[in-house]
Amino acid sequence: MIPTSAATDSMTAASAAPESTTSAITLTAVTKTYSAASPAALQGVNLDILPGTSTAIVGPSGSGKSTILRIIAGLEDANGGRVRLAGRDVTALLPEERGIAMVFQRPLLFPHLTVLDNVAFADRAAGLSRAHARERAREHLELVHMAEFGGRSPHSLSGGQQQRVAVARALAAKPSVLLLDEPFSALDLGLKDDMHAMIAEIRQAVNPTILFVTHDRDEASAMAERIVVLENGQLLQHDTVDHVFHRPASLAVARLLGGKNAFAGTIENDVHHSALGAVALDGDVVSGPATLVFRHEAVTATLRQLTSGADAVALATRHADAAACQRSGPRALHGVVTAIVQRGPRREVIVRVADADVHGEAAPGHPLAVGDLVTVSLPCEALWAVPA
Amino acid sequence: MLPAVIPVAFVVIGGVGTTLLQSLGLMPLVGAAELSTAAFDDTDELLTSALLSLSIAVVSTAIAAVVGFFTAVLIISGNWGGRIVGVLGAAAVTVPHLVGAATVGLLLSDSGVLARLLGVSPEAWPALVAGPTWFAVVAEYAWKESAFIALIIVGTLATRITSYDETAAVLGARRPARLRLVLFPLAAPSLLVASAIAFAYTLGSYEVAWMLGKTYPEPLSVMALRLFNSASLTARPEAAAIGVITVVLTAVVVAAAMLGLRRMRAWR
Repeated sequence: MIPTSAATDSMTAASAAPESTTSAITLTAVTKTYSAASPAALQGVNLDILPGTSTAIVGPSGSGKSTILRIIAGLEDANGGRVRLAGRDVTALLPEERGIAMVFQRPLLFPHLTVLDNVAFADRAAGLSRAHARERAREHLELVHMAEFGGRSPHSLSGGQQQRVAVARALAAKPSVLLLDEPFSALDLGLKDDMHAMIAEIRQAVNPTILFVTHDRDEASAMAERIVVLENGQLLQHDTVDHVFHRPASLAVARLLGGKNAFAGTIENDVHHSALGAVALDGDVVSGPATLVFRHEAVTATLRQLTSGADAVALATRHADAAACQRSGPRALHGVVTAIVQRGPRREVIVRVADADVHGEAAPGHPLAVGDLVTVSLPCEALWAVPA
Repeated sequence: MLPAVIPVAFVVIGGVGTTLLQSLGLMPLVGAAELSTAAFDDTDELLTSALLSLSIAVVSTAIAAVVGFFTAVLIISGNWGGRIVGVLGAAAVTVPHLVGAATVGLLLSDSGVLARLLGVSPEAWPALVAGPTWFAVVAEYAWKESAFIALIIVGTLATRITSYDETAAVLGARRPARLRLVLFPLAAPSLLVASAIAFAYTLGSYEVAWMLGKTYPEPLSVMALRLFNSASLTARPEAAAIGVITVVLTAVVVAAAMLGLRRMRAWR
């Protein structure tokens, strides 16, 4: 195993979820197959979600993200495994008996009820009087800044407003866990930011345990402090946002989280050797075959100072002489810009270094063009090795 | 829009207009046209028939609405029982009322299948067919129209009811609460429209009441048919007058249903 001890922690979290009565959600070896002909939607998933946390489930289409949520909600039956909510085994319980609430991709506000009565729905269903339920509903509408829309019909609201009401309606059910299944995916970017701010406010106000599915990595990091990565029904990693992005448990996780730099090679004496050259690593690095990964956002490319003279390979060799990254300082590679892609205010550059392409970003204020000789610097903290 | 308007206008203006003119003596088969309300003069007879027709239509439509709604709920549930009921409902809709009436007659008459199966003698068997309660007539209409209403509700709700039902369930609503607070309100517009159609059909059709009902008093439709086929050509205005009364009654009920529909938030 190549990764450092930090990576080993990540893998442990992914593969073994200890049963804890303090956990808000505990999945133990949950398996789901929709038909004998199709592959398993979930394969022995273990997951432990702590109370009051916000956790994102990310993964490609068909990875089982929504299936996990629907099994926790009781809308799907697992073929195997157990589901516990706050230590209580709810595997055999109906959705209405689990004490959860769920918001779907579509708001699904009841068209025959006003906005206020939609939010009052859970209390009405629980047997509260209309007046009492509405009184409580007003409080939740205020929480999502929709108090003045209580008398309106759902269809008169915009998509974003409808989703705010859907969140308020879910919170009004006083759930132990709030499940969100891509609730903001249909909204434009500006509205999404508003929704993220709203969720942050809600967390400050009532601190619910939130588990949400998203295909948007930015949304995952904006709304959650932990991320679960799924692929083909398998849980690849469950860790903090920073670790999932910068300390991926595997190359698959790095790729799924949008990592563009991956260089297969071998580690010897804390130095990774690949087409990129020799790159010193920090931490308890195990020797052997490994793939060097680092985020392109952490790499900056600047016009090369020609006074340095040395070419990329020579410089790489010189730095590799140092025992580890921190001792050698940030790794600097030299190469030629082969492509520039403007992404909003950022410019992503591809730099040909030796026999490899390095993805990075142009430093702000530095005009770059294809063919420029540049220096790309790799911060020690950005460097990570995963099993080959 | 014109292709839709032309046939409707043809039927309403042509058919109903002609009936109205005939009922007022302005289109006699023989003799000179003369404005008269004589065809409406036998008010006692007309009132008795109208009340009978309304009673049959209201009771059978109400039963059909209740049975149809719960049948739809069962079909939408998607389980085995629901699927079987769905197939039976679809099959029932395809059976013509005339065949249905004959079947109900064979089933419920004093020497019918049910009496024989239960081992009840004809003398002891209640007069379900052609009896004072009009049981067989109501049963036939309720059976056929409940299947029709169920399929209309299923057709309008099938694509979206699962989502709303799941939403309500994850908000903690148990099945009875979901039925009361979600399923019924969402089904109400299609239930109302389908019931209005069933009512209009029941009020206007004659064959079931003609086959399974008493000979006297007659429902409006049976009386209209008898008078229309009468050897006396002077009975035509009376048959037309009954037709006009039937149209007015139907129009009032359908208009009330449409007004109710407009007030429903789920329909808006």
